Amino acid sequence: MKNKKNVFYTLIAVLLLIYPFINDSRSMMILFTQVFIFAIFAMSYDLLLGYTGIVSFGHAMFFGIGAYTIGIFMKRFEPTIPYLMLAVLVTIVLTALLSYLVGLLTLRLKSHFYAMLTLAFAGLFLVLAEKWRTMTYGNDGFTFRVPDLFKDRFDFYLICLVSMIVVFILLNRFTNSPLGRVLQAIRENEQRSESLGYSVLQYKIIASVVSGVIAGIAGILYAISLRFVNTSVFTMDITLDALLMTIIGGVGTLVGAIIGAGLIEFAHHWLTELAKVHWIFERWIIFFGIIYILAVMFFPQGIVGTLKSLRTKSLVKRQRNLEPKDKNEKAAG
Amino acid sequence: MELLINLTINGLATGMLIFLLAAGLTLIFGLMDVLNFAHGGLFAWGAYSGTWIYATTGSFVIGIIGAIITGLILGVATERWIIKPVYGNHIQQILITLGLMLVLSEMLKVVWGPNQISATAPSYLAGSWEIGNVIIIKYRAFIIVVGLLVFLAVQYILKNTKIGLIVRAGVMNKEMVQSLGINIQKVFMLVFMIGAGMAALGGVLLAPYSGVIYAEMGLEFAILAFIVVVIGGMGSFPGSILAAILVGLSGSFMAYYVPDLALAVNMLLMAAVLIFKPSGLFGLKG
Repeated sequence: MKNKKNVFYTLIAVLLLIYPFINDSRSMMILFTQVFIFAIFAMSYDLLLGYTGIVSFGHAMFFGIGAYTIGIFMKRFEPTIPYLMLAVLVTIVLTALLSYLVGLLTLRLKSHFYAMLTLAFAGLFLVLAEKWRTMTYGNDGFTFRVPDLFKDRFDFYLICLVSMIVVFILLNRFTNSPLGRVLQAIRENEQRSESLGYSVLQYKIIASVVSGVIAGIAGILYAISLRFVNTSVFTMDITLDALLMTIIGGVGTLVGAIIGAGLIEFAHHWLTELAKVHWIFERWIIFFGIIYILAVMFFPQGIVGTLKSLRTKSLVKRQRNLEPKDKNEKAAG
Repeated sequence: MELLINLTINGLATGMLIFLLAAGLTLIFGLMDVLNFAHGGLFAWGAYSGTWIYATTGSFVIGIIGAIITGLILGVATERWIIKPVYGNHIQQILITLGLMLVLSEMLKVVWGPNQISATAPSYLAGSWEIGNVIIIKYRAFIIVVGLLVFLAVQYILKNTKIGLIVRAGVMNKEMVQSLGINIQKVFMLVFMIGAGMAALGGVLLAPYSGVIYAEMGLEFAILAFIVVVIGGMGSFPGSILAAILVGLSGSFMAYYVPDLALAVNMLLMAAVLIFKPSGLFGLKG
C-alpha cells in the first residue's frame, strides 16, 4: 500500500525530471518552474492550515521577506553563490524570528487572532516595502543579477524541482513524526491535546516557524526566477494563491498542495490568454473566488481529500460485501 | 493650537469612519462568534453604490440611503447564503468570508471598472468654517456628528429596547437565550444586517472625505477595523468607538509628525494589547 504510493511518486518525479529533455519549450519550462515554487509555498501553508488548523492571512510576508532578502543581497553585493547562501541564511533567521513573534502573540488566543494579526502584519510589510525607498526602490521594485548557475532556465528548472521534492520529503517526514502527530491532534481537538499534557502553544509555534521558513525559501526561488522583485510579493494575492492551492488541492495532504499549485498556475496561464477573447477573463479572480467559496462549502477536503474518502468508502463497501460471505462459509463449514 | 485642533478633528473624523466599520464587526463577533473578513467588502460596496447613486440622482442624502440599503441587502444575502451553511465551524467561516471579500471587491471592478472613481461632497457640506484662527472643514464635522448619532442610536437600542436586551443576552450566552424560546437565528440576521448597513454608511461617508474610491480600500480599512476590534475588545460596542477614536487620533497625529510610522504605531498598540490584555481594553471574551 505504502510502497505503491511511493513508487507512484517516484515515477512522477522521474517523469518531471526528464520532461525538459523531451520538450524544450521555454514557456512550458517557465510555467513548470513557477508551479514548483508555488507548490513549496502551498505546502508550507498546508502545514499550518491542514496539519495544525491555524489560518494565516499574511503568509505573503514570509514569501516577500525571502524575495526581498535575495534581491537586496544580489543587488548590493556580488551575485555569487556565497552571497546567495548568506541571503538564504538571513531569510531563515528573519522568517523564523518573525513567525515566532507573531505566533507567541496570538496563538494562545482563538484562531481569529492569528488570521487578523498576520493580515495586519503583512499590510505593515507592504507599507514598509513601499516607503523604504533607499532599500527597496518603492513600488517600482528593482532588477538584479543572479549567479550563473541560476541563469540557465534548464538548470533552474531542475533546482526548483529538486527543492520541491526535498521539501516534500522533509515535510512528509515532519508531519509523520511524533511531533507532527501532536500537531494533527491539536487540529482535531485542542482541549484534549492540552489535557493530555501537551503544551499546545509550543507545538503551534513550532509549526508556524517551520511554515514561515519554508515560505521564505519559496520567496527566494520566486525572486530568482524573475530576477526582479517589487511590492507585489507582499500583497494579499500571494496569500490568496496559497489558500486557493491548498483548499482546492486538499488540506492536510501535501500532495494536494502540489496538485493545487499545478492547477492554479495552469489556470492562471490559460485564463490570461482567454482575456484576449473576452474582457471578463481579465477578472479571473472572480472565478477563483466563487470556486473557492463553493469548495469551502461543499468540498472542504479538496481534490485529494475527496479521492481519499471515496477510496475509504469503497474499501468499507467491499469489506461489507465480503462479510456475509464469510459468515455463510462459516455456517457451511 | 490651530494645528492641534485640526489634527484632532481629522483624527476624530477618521476614527468615526473606522468605528462604523468596526462596530458591525464587533457586534457580529460578539453575538455569532463569526469574524467577518468580508466586512471591508461591504464597506467598499457602500462607497461605490452610494457615490454612483449620488452622481446619478444628484442628491447626497439619496446616495447615503442607497448605500445603506445596498449594505442591508448584501448583509442579508451574506448571512443567509455564506455564513449560515458553515455555522459553527470557525476555520471554514474564516476561509469563506475571505473568499467573499475577494468576490465582492472583484465584482466592484466588473460593475464600475478597475479605475479609481473621484467623489466630492455636496455644495452645502463643502468649504469650511472659520472660528478665530481655527479652520474647521464642514465635511469632517459632518462625519463626526453622523458617527456620534449612529453610536447613540445603537447604544440606545442596545440598552433600552427588548431586541437590544436579547442581543446583549446573546453576546453573553446564546444557548441560554435560545432555550428561553427566542429565535436567535432571526436576531443573528438582524444584527448582521445592521452591521453591514453601518459598514456601507461608513463607506459612502468616506468617499467625499478621501476624494477617491477604489476597490482595495475595503481591505485597507478592514485592517484598521481589525486593529480597533482587538484593542477595544471583541464583542464590546462601547470599546469599539473608544478604540476607533484612539486609532484615528494616533493615525492623524502620526501622519503629521512621523508619516512613515503611522501604521506601525497602531500595530504596536495592538501588539501591546495582545500581550497585556488579550481580551481587549473593554472585552468580555478572550
